[in-house]
Formats: sequence, C-alpha cells, structure tokens
Amino acid sequence: MAIDINAYNSNLKPTWCPGCGNFLIHMSLKKALSELDISPSQTYIAFDIGCNGNGADKINTYAFKGLHGRAIPLAAGLHLANRKFTVIADLGDGACFHEGLDHIIHAIRSNYDITILIHNNQNFALTTGQATLTTDEEKPMYGLPDSKPERTLEPSEIILSANPSFYARGYSGDMQQLTELIKGGIQNKGCSIIEIMQLCPTYNEECTPQWFMQRIHKIEETNRTLEEARKIGTITDESINTGIIYRNTELKTYYELLENRKETQTELVDEVKQFDIQKLFDQFK
Amino acid sequence: MPANRYCIKLGGESGQGINTLGILLSKAIKSIGYDIFSYREYPSLIKGGIASYQIDFSNKYLASSSKTCDILAILDPEAVHEYLPSLNEDGILLYDDEQVVFTSDEQAWIAQNHIHVVYLNSEKIAVDTGGSPIMSNIVMTSFVWKLLGLNTEDLLRIVKEIFECKGEEILNKNILCVNAGYNAVEFKEEYTQATIIPSQLVESKNSKILTGNDAIALGAISAGVRAYYGYPMTPATSIFKYLGNTYKETGILIKQAESEITAVQMALGSMAMGTRALTATSGGGFDLMQETISCAGITETPLVIVLAQRIGAGTGVPTWTGSSDIHTAVKSGHGEFPKAVICISDVQSGYIQIQQAFNIAETYQIPVILLTEKQIAESLFTVETLPQPLQIQRGMYDGENRYTITDTGISPRWAPNFDKKPYLNTSDEHNEIGQSTENMNEIQQMSDKRMQKMTTLLSNLPDPTLYGSPNALTVLVGCGSTKNPVIDAINEGMNIAYLHYEYLYPTKTQILQNLVASGKRIILVENNQTGELGKILTEASGYQFKEKILKYDGRPFFLEDILNIQI
Repeated sequence: MAIDINAYNSNLKPTWCPGCGNFLIHMSLKKALSELDISPSQTYIAFDIGCNGNGADKINTYAFKGLHGRAIPLAAGLHLANRKFTVIADLGDGACFHEGLDHIIHAIRSNYDITILIHNNQNFALTTGQATLTTDEEKPMYGLPDSKPERTLEPSEIILSANPSFYARGYSGDMQQLTELIKGGIQNKGCSIIEIMQLCPTYNEECTPQWFMQRIHKIEETNRTLEEARKIGTITDESINTGIIYRNTELKTYYELLENRKETQTELVDEVKQFDIQKLFDQFK
Repeated sequence: MPANRYCIKLGGESGQGINTLGILLSKAIKSIGYDIFSYREYPSLIKGGIASYQIDFSNKYLASSSKTCDILAILDPEAVHEYLPSLNEDGILLYDDEQVVFTSDEQAWIAQNHIHVVYLNSEKIAVDTGGSPIMSNIVMTSFVWKLLGLNTEDLLRIVKEIFECKGEEILNKNILCVNAGYNAVEFKEEYTQATIIPSQLVESKNSKILTGNDAIALGAISAGVRAYYGYPMTPATSIFKYLGNTYKETGILIKQAESEITAVQMALGSMAMGTRALTATSGGGFDLMQETISCAGITETPLVIVLAQRIGAGTGVPTWTGSSDIHTAVKSGHGEFPKAVICISDVQSGYIQIQQAFNIAETYQIPVILLTEKQIAESLFTVETLPQPLQIQRGMYDGENRYTITDTGISPRWAPNFDKKPYLNTSDEHNEIGQSTENMNEIQQMSDKRMQKMTTLLSNLPDPTLYGSPNALTVLVGCGSTKNPVIDAINEGMNIAYLHYEYLYPTKTQILQNLVASGKRIILVENNQTGELGKILTEASGYQFKEKILKYDGRPFFLEDILNIQI
C-alpha cells in the first residue's frame, strides 16, 4: 500500500515560474517514494542551489540544502553514514556539469548506492538565464548576445564515459514515465543517474512542450553495451530518447568493496562511542 | 648546548633512507631510557635534494630541537657542506664519501672549532662483511652508537625488531653490519671526549615515540570517529596513513576523495547523518574547504577539520614548518557565523584536543578547526602514557523545530531516524522550521541565535595556561609548537613565564590583561611573519603587543632561539 502523497508536502507552496518543469519533477519524486513505500522519515535529499533547490523546503523529508555544485559529495557522505536511508542528490545541469563536474564522474566510478536527479533545463535559470554546456550553441544568453563561444557537451557522453550502474533519461512533461524511472533508480543498487529533460518556459522558451513532443521517443530497456547506449543516448536535432538507457548489474557498490566493513552489520551512525585505543597505542615502541 | 641534552644529526640525499635510519636510532636511544625529540627536514621531492633527521635526547622530557648538534653523520657529499656549520665545538663529523673536499674556509672552521673529522668507508665495510651497499647506513648508525659509548646489544635488539619482518637473510646481514660498524678500526678513544652524553636513568621507562599526527589519529579513533575523508597534502597526510593502516582494527571507513571540497562535503554529510567524520588538510586544501565551513556555520552542522600548517602562501615551502594559517582558520568562510579554532602543541594535546573538537562541534553545532603544524605533525615525541580520553559529548536532543531559538543559541538536533520527525538543514537563511526567509526580523533573530553560541561557548572554555615562574618579569605569549622550546628553556632554568593559547577562538584574554596590568614585560612569540595570534588577542582585548619575536624561515623555534632572548 502506497503512502499518502500529502505526507511528503510541507506547508509551503512552490515558487517556480508557471509552466516550470520542476512542478512535475517534484511530483514524480514524491510519487516514486510513495509507491515504493519509502516514508518521508526514511528519505534524505541533498539539494543543490538553483531553481531545483528552491524545492527543498517544499518537501517534507529529511533534507540538506547545501552549496552550489556539491549535492553529490554531500549525498555520498550522508549515504555512507547510514545506508538504511534512501539518499537522493537533486541538482541542475549547471551544478552537475559546471561547478561540480568532478563529482558526477567520481560518484559513478565509486558507485555509491545513491540516486542522482539531474534537472537539465539547458541553462542556469535561477541567476536569470546564463549558458551551460547543454545550452544550444546558437542561442543568445545572458551576457552573451551572440551566443556562447564554447561547444555544447552531451551529458550522456560524460555519464556513460564513467560506466554507470544505472542511467536513464526522463522528461518533466511525462510524469508517469519519470516516476517509473525514479523508482528504477532508487531500487537499483548502485549509483543511479536520472537525467531529466526539463521545461524552462522563462529562459528556454524555444523548447516548448510541443518542441519536446516532436522529438521525444520512448525506448524500451534492453541489454545494451556502452557503445549501443552511447548511440541511443545521443540527442540529435530530431530525437531525444527517454527511458533506461544503460544498466550495469555487474558492478559492486563502493561500500561492498570496503574490506574492513564486510563483516559489519551496523551503520557508521550506530558506532559513535568511545573506542579503546590501548592495543593500538601498545603497537608504538 | 645545555649539559643534559645531546644532539645527533643525520644528513643525506632525500631518498637515501635517512628517515628510516632516524627512526631506528630514535627507537634505540629511547629504548635505553632516554627521552628523545626527533625533527625532520626534507625537500618536497622524492629522490635527490638534501634531507636531515635530528635526534635530541635527554634524561628528562624534551620537545624541541637544538640549533646545533654534537654528532653529524652524513651519507651524501653535498650534505657535508650544507650541515657542517651546525656542529658544536668539539663535535664529530662522520662521513662516508672519500670524494669530499673541504674548502679552505671549511678547513679553518674545522680547526678553530676543534671538530673531529672521521671518514668511514661504510659501504666497503658493509660489503666486506657480507651486507649490501645500502646497509652502509647501518654501519654508520652502529659507528655512531659506538661513539656514544653505548652497548651494542641495545642497538641489535632494535635492529632485530625492525628488520625481523624482512626475512632471516636480510636480518642477518644487518646484524653483521651492526657488528662491523661497531668494531670499525676508524674508532679512536679520543672521540669519547666529544661524546659525553647525559647519564642514563637507573630505572628505564616504558615510553613510546609517536608523532603529533599519530596522536590526532589515535584521539579521533578514541572519540568514535567512524569515517575519514581525505585528499593528500603535506603535512596532514600521515593522519590518513595511520587511520588507513589501522582500519581493520577500528572499522573506520577510509575514503580518498577526488578533492578537498569533496572530502569536506562528505564529512559534512556524514556528520549531518549523525556519525562522526573527520577530514584533514593543509593551507591550500583548507582554502578549498572554506565555503563548506560557512555552510556548516549557517546550517548548524557539526564539522571538524584538521588544518596542518606549513609555511608560505601559494604552494609555499611544502615540507617546512610555520604557523601562518591562524588567521585563515579564524576568519575562514564568508559571512558571519560561529566557529571554534583550537591549536595543539604536542602529542598529549593532539590526542585530547581532537576529542574536544568533536565534543564542541556537536554540542554547539558549529565547525571546529584544529590547528597543528609540520613541526608537531611529523616530529617524534616521547610519551609514557596518553591522558584519559574525554567523555563523548554529542549534545543531541529532540525538539519540535530544528532551529528553535533558545537562550544558549543551541537548538534541538537529532540524528535522522525513521521514527523521528524529518527536518531540513539549509544554507539559506531560514526560520525556526528551516524554511527559507527574507523577512528582516527573522534574518536578524536567526543570526543572533547562532552568534549567541559563541558567547555560550566562550563562557565554557578554559583559560590559557600560564607556565613557568609566576614571579618572572618577562612573559612570553604563544601557541602551537612554540610552547615546546619555551617549556624546555624554562626547564633549563630560564626565568620567564609563558602564556600558552590552546583555544584561540573564541578568545579568552582576562589572564593576558591581568599580566599587562601587573606591569610584566610581554613578548609575543610566533612562527609566522605578522603575529597572527597577537592580532586575534588584540582584537579581543585591545592590547597592542609592543615586543614580538617572529620567525618565518620555515624552521621551528629552536631551543637556542628562546634561550638567547634577552630578559
């Protein structure tokens, strides 16, 4: 039996622009948690800074709204301390691929058992529309009247280069699919990445729901090699594939590989007590 | 050189095993009942360059290095010229390279200071006796042992202890080299005039030698730290090494993170979840952590960072000591928020203060920075026992709201738990519930609540410690490793007092102000260029230091630096 979705709501109303993709992303996240029977007290969300982060006090789980670009290492630290919690890092494309690009690569190769939601609205929106690496190369942006001189980079290329345990792409306009993808990410044992193509009617007004509808193509999950995943994950002018793009079930999680924790049943949070160092001290001569 | 101290300096090329040799000799001297203090100088490279290992020993406690030595044993020709001037009058220069040619100035200096120059072909001795060329180091060490007039059995015992793990063949070769070095024909009776060492204690003590970083690591283990997140940076790295090498015994999670930012963010996350996590770094890495310190401040998340100082801005002089990050620590992070800065001086304080740092961080829900220095981090101190560990204080209590405004400024904090009410920690300014606010009253009230914790903390902190004679007219003021040569000087009979600051921030100044009011001559002594502790004391008390002794050449205060102060 699913938990009442209202249990995840705080008493504040969201402050996003009308038509913002964040409304349905938040709803999908709450729905996923509810359907998986993970209560607000069993969930810990690390929010980044950006429009997505403004949702931090609108959801009633344990949460930490920290620094720009750092939601992933914060989530990793939260997770390792108590693996019983469902830990989610929630950040935008600016945070993930600009300020904190190193973290996504190292989180994937470390394979922490966390779920990373990337709100990809193709710009820095909260600071009123600066270019990110996902912004269209032709598009004039804040302070860049002739568009950005740098090239666009594909998140899928960055993510797949590190061989993730789970990589899916969703769309903020398809709550049903997105909910299933988030559920899949949470249930996957390992570092799960869900890139969410997000509507931003204010700063990415060209990419309307119609624009997305013309391009989005839902794919079925099949066993794909990294090479096949790269092909299907690449966004072209004509198509954006959504669904589970890649899964690697062979990978062990970070914690499982810790030699000194293999026999331990307790979590780090259970172990804070005086440790008798006499034996260690005696080893000094 | 005071009569009850003796000093041996080993010098050579970096990578020649000077450190291993130094530790061996330190252990051997310590094992026959002396207290030792060992100090390393080495360049920031792996092979080549000159390195030294200095062992000061005495029949009473010491924790400082002398500027000059009695025996200089050199394994590399360049190091001979570099370190020759650090010999005492009547000292012994022992070297093993016949290519060494002394300049005429050096020859004059040697004659004038009655230096005994001893060439020992240690490599040939090692090979002739069946050892390998690298074992020339052992031959040299053993010859030094003979010079000191000590019993070869005592050295053999330590050699066995250290080389046992290398297998019987290597151990036996080393034993042969010890005997060959000890019996080398180069030894002359006249040298013993130069090697009168402090008398041994009748009762040998069961003491141990460990570094300041070992002490911090042991203290962290004792305090229930369950995760260490690190990124390599000298001189903090050996905390990582110790915790890593003991992780099977302790079960501590050890993570080498991709950057200092990651390390400190992971520590913040683990602390927020309710365990104890540690990270340690040096100046540059600490700079990267500062945004997170500010975040810990406003979110009221406990956080402990060890800042192991070295000298200089930028890359500075990476393997040399100094205390030039006091201001960086105290002023760290943007915005205004409460924090604590504690500064250790030796093994005992490192062991206790890392525990205290966690108690303060959790009780007051603030970031705590524990300062150490290369001189403390990597030097070997002699200790018999460690103090009793502190009781763990976590200061957690349940409540309605995470940021409830209280008289002490301390709000409820509970470890996330399935059965408890969830809450938001937020780096946005917030109301008592943790919801973002831009309301002017709420901004001010929450700022006041947080800063109230500084007042609460200050009233609970101990005063700085006054060492030495209360009647002394001169009072030195300092913190960190400065304490050690000053205390050694006081033990040598120097008539001074010393006000030692362990808790730097928030800052207690009543005792200082009393000393000023009583007309004492106050001298600030700091291992940096601008008197950073002094500036903090001035800010807190209004007192302007009139006399300052500041040393910022990458070297610690040597005993003579203190003894030569005109009082």
